Amino acid sequence: MAAELLRESFQIQGRNFDKAGEISSEIKVILKDLDIDAACLRRVVIVAFEAEMNVVMYADRGTLTLILTDQDICLDVKDEGPGIPDIDLAMKEGYSTASDEMREMGFGFGMGLPNMKKNSDDFCIESAVGKGTSVFARVRLDSHA
Amino acid sequence: MPELKHGFKIDTAKCVGRMHCMRACPTHAIRVKDGKAHLIPELCIDCGSCLGVCPSKAISATTITLAELDRFKFKVAVASPALFTQFGLGDTPAQVGRALLDLGFDAVWEYAVDIELVDRAITDCVKKWPGPFPLISDSCPVIVRLIQVAYPSMVEQIIPIEVPREIAGREVKRRYSQELGLRPEEIAAIYITPCQAKSISILQPAEESKSYLDGAVGISEIYNDVLYRLRKSTAKLKSDTQEGLMDSGELFHWGNPEGEFPNLSREHYLPLIGLTDIIKVFDDIERGRLTNIEFLECHACQGGCNGGNLTIENLYVARSKNLHLKANMPKPPLEFEREVARRYGSEDFSLRGSVKPRSLAKDVVDLRARVMRRKRAEEILKGLPLLNCGLCGAPSCKDHADDVALARSEISDCVFLSKARIDLLRKIYKKGPRASKG
Repeated sequence: MAAELLRESFQIQGRNFDKAGEISSEIKVILKDLDIDAACLRRVVIVAFEAEMNVVMYADRGTLTLILTDQDICLDVKDEGPGIPDIDLAMKEGYSTASDEMREMGFGFGMGLPNMKKNSDDFCIESAVGKGTSVFARVRLDSHA
Repeated sequence: MPELKHGFKIDTAKCVGRMHCMRACPTHAIRVKDGKAHLIPELCIDCGSCLGVCPSKAISATTITLAELDRFKFKVAVASPALFTQFGLGDTPAQVGRALLDLGFDAVWEYAVDIELVDRAITDCVKKWPGPFPLISDSCPVIVRLIQVAYPSMVEQIIPIEVPREIAGREVKRRYSQELGLRPEEIAAIYITPCQAKSISILQPAEESKSYLDGAVGISEIYNDVLYRLRKSTAKLKSDTQEGLMDSGELFHWGNPEGEFPNLSREHYLPLIGLTDIIKVFDDIERGRLTNIEFLECHACQGGCNGGNLTIENLYVARSKNLHLKANMPKPPLEFEREVARRYGSEDFSLRGSVKPRSLAKDVVDLRARVMRRKRAEEILKGLPLLNCGLCGAPSCKDHADDVALARSEISDCVFLSKARIDLLRKIYKKGPRASKG
């Protein structure tokens, strides 16, 4: 059984593109401080950034929780947003419901969720339309050794 | 890990602890304890930000002097293109080359060829690279070290191609040992450098191999001697047999941030200059953005190598000289093209060794201990004023908290927590210049 070493939660403000990316930067600083393996850190930061952007783009607000155990790093992201009607479709590369405005800012190319999955060792997503979405991603500390 | 060497030294006799260097350091690598600045070697990236700001001139670059070269039988200068931007508009590269010969060098290398070769090697590498993108140029040693220290997850994006000065050093040794029948170690390949970072990259390459070059002489070190010879009648100087190549416009590409890599389409290639902006872009890359860019050319100094901290001329004047030189250059001669084609087919340009992240934790402790240490640092930070006054000897309260958690310093070094610290500082700084005048 993995022993939990650290747990920190961050509030994500929906539709605030000014601050978008700050939380994944903070997570990067924490993991770098802890001298986490570079390849592992890279994957976690990518997952965190995509998750953060999804909340910023679609939801009113959300929470991202970083959980570090002696075996893995987990990201637990919950938002209060529109939810995803068809998760299988949403997981397809290139599928996107982003507005033109978001695309102009360089987001919404339909790579977010697939990219998160690609960079996690375990990935699960649950969603209720009209209520919100929750994502859980796990990156093993030793998966690149 | 072998002991880290750095491109400058702090003269503790001259240092009066004014903390300018500590505040200027982008990686927070300097502490001022007991009125003297000292370095945390594993954090220093050799950017030289500290060099220019010291009011006591206590920090100096460790380049070599010409006198140290006497042990070699044959001395070859590999001059950074930045050198040629340092003199008057009428002073041609060929004349500067002759001045170098008069100064004691036995030959001035046709460096433009190596620059062109590496340009081609980079083009090929970028085209074949499977990812991750963007690739990042390795010619500026500060950038390589910044990635090792602050962006460990990006080390595999440093382009695995040797820098032109190394390719030049290798060919200098090969050609002259063959032509003159000397052993390679009797031939000195000396880089004329615009910054101390390149001299340290020769002394201790980040990729943990051995440099082909034998050392670097700073432009500032030879500036006066070259200028003196240029102002004397240059016609009397020894003539350079490779004058045709010295006049080639290709010579000036490398020192110019726009010119390092001219063969990629504009929308996939980004030149970046200045450490502050580069850090912003690297933050974006680390989050997985910017993947549509294939190659980033990065120069830590404002203005690229023409603004290196061992240059003399005002950066903008140097840049204008550079443009002037480019505008007046004839097309590269046929021999130049032939030489590039000949060498490109026969040489290997891939980087020897690999760049690894620099481990910042001196003591190897397990993850649990590191988490505990971080939590302790957070607790300590809550008790600090967050004014970043620096009087504890660390550049910010956060750094002080980390130092205490790492047992690098005492929490009571903070003047807000200990009156004894103020008394101590008063004692130390009374010895400063102001007191001695009175």
